[in-house]
Amino acid sequence: MKLRARLGYVAAGATVLVALLTPFLLYGMFAKGVVALGLHVDEIYSGGPKVRTIQMSGYSIDVHGVVTPHMLQRETAFVQMDWRPVTALPAHVSDLVDVDGDGKPDVRVSFDVPRDPKAPLRVNVEALNPRYEGMRNEGKERYSKLIVRVDDAVLVRVPVVGR
Amino acid sequence: MATEARAVRLGSAVRRGVGQSVLLTLPMVVWSLLMFFHPGAATDRNSVIAAGVTMAFMVALFFLMMRTGNTYRWRRVFFVALGLLFPVGFIYQAIHFRGSMGIPMEEMIAGRTPFCFMPIPMLILPAALTRTVVFPGSIVGVGGMSGAGIAAMVGLWLALTLVLGRGWCSYACFFGGIEEGMASAPKKATIRKIDPRWRLGPWAVLLAMVLLSLALFEPAYCEWLCPFKAVSEYLAARNTVGLLQNALFVVLFAGLVVVLPLLTKKRTQCSCFCPFGAFQSIFNKTSVFDVRIDKERCKPCVACQTACPTMSLSKESIARGETLLSCTKCGACVDACPRGAMNWHVKGTEAAANPERARLLFLYAAWALAVMFGGSILAQGIRTILHFVL
Repeated sequence: MKLRARLGYVAAGATVLVALLTPFLLYGMFAKGVVALGLHVDEIYSGGPKVRTIQMSGYSIDVHGVVTPHMLQRETAFVQMDWRPVTALPAHVSDLVDVDGDGKPDVRVSFDVPRDPKAPLRVNVEALNPRYEGMRNEGKERYSKLIVRVDDAVLVRVPVVGR
Repeated sequence: MATEARAVRLGSAVRRGVGQSVLLTLPMVVWSLLMFFHPGAATDRNSVIAAGVTMAFMVALFFLMMRTGNTYRWRRVFFVALGLLFPVGFIYQAIHFRGSMGIPMEEMIAGRTPFCFMPIPMLILPAALTRTVVFPGSIVGVGGMSGAGIAAMVGLWLALTLVLGRGWCSYACFFGGIEEGMASAPKKATIRKIDPRWRLGPWAVLLAMVLLSLALFEPAYCEWLCPFKAVSEYLAARNTVGLLQNALFVVLFAGLVVVLPLLTKKRTQCSCFCPFGAFQSIFNKTSVFDVRIDKERCKPCVACQTACPTMSLSKESIARGETLLSCTKCGACVDACPRGAMNWHVKGTEAAANPERARLLFLYAAWALAVMFGGSILAQGIRTILHFVL
């Protein structure tokens, strides 16, 4: 048998071995390898890293860092704020929020919290700082401009002007 | 005369006795037991019945492959069952977790969009350039419909691709079976002549989707063109654009997966449209198994070309003694050849060097993975049916 043919059969045997090792070793090993690459899900979806928590009476507001779109992405820059826990929120929320942490309120966010978790949410945002864009009766049309309920939090995303 | 007789003898598949077939099937019985009844497997009644039925099904098909020497016929039974049962289990899970087949924005933001293999080629460039995954899922599972997460699916795909190359599209893809079932239904094709330039379709879609996903930073194929959204999940339409996207999914599914396969007897979505299939073709270059044509025995009757469901043979490739890069190793051409000229082949060996040995090596590897991956999907579909029946 020629060397090339021998190598071919060795490779074929190795392929069978790879198949047999897949569920016990390789699948997990490759998955861990992908995790080790340090990839992250696009912040347009995940909302960016949390930078500060503001304590309110009975609930808190997590403020995230500004998320800017990539290349031709069809969204504008935004900042996300999470009100949690939902169970501690009053029936109507109207909070002044210092988004950039300079000690001055930047936006007033107002929304109703219906008891039915599947009921649609609407939000009004009054911009007190021209860096942020106001919103009127907004639902969830775009990732960069929305109010949604995710698990035990109400998430509001406010567009950032000029980013 | 002697060559003629040998060809006719080899033209029919290698049939084996029951005893020899049982012996060859025994390793697959052990493997299936390991896959379906390992420690930690679910022990509720429905799960045990589903695992038992799936195991019997997969082992029986492997036995029939050994006994009859046919590959395509029995693999197709598995593949069609996979295509039919995947939506059953998946849709039930979707309704169980979120009450609908539609993915609401909340679930995308929470990273609970299930990740299938289709967008993998579209994610590579954005990930390489910015370490960003442009998919609303999670790297590791976060409950709900997120499954085991993106990393697990990519890891599984890598392992299976090493073994199968584009054989993924005949032994692992949980969508292709619907199409293969449709293509197998009519006795004769209504449309027999398909312009060979359609073979470039998947490459064109792949290039367009890769560039669009990079430019827009979104999984463009999933959002606009995936026909299988029609039988798995769709974007919960929030506006006119969402409605248009969902309408496109249904039209593409009806056209490419139902109507055209019925008319052409080809897997038209796979051979003319699927960008993942095109991407997977590249890995046929790294796979050690392929199908070759013994040019001495071949009298170009083009029975293989007619039988090939993915248009992976042309007169030119037959003359060269090989399949096209898009070959999914389904075995249709090998089974169809009346002269035994189409052979399973290990690269590096002669074209006609012990094809049955090459077939066995490939089938043990491919079927082991089919039992592991496809088997778990079949079992989930059967478990769902049992949930409603028992």
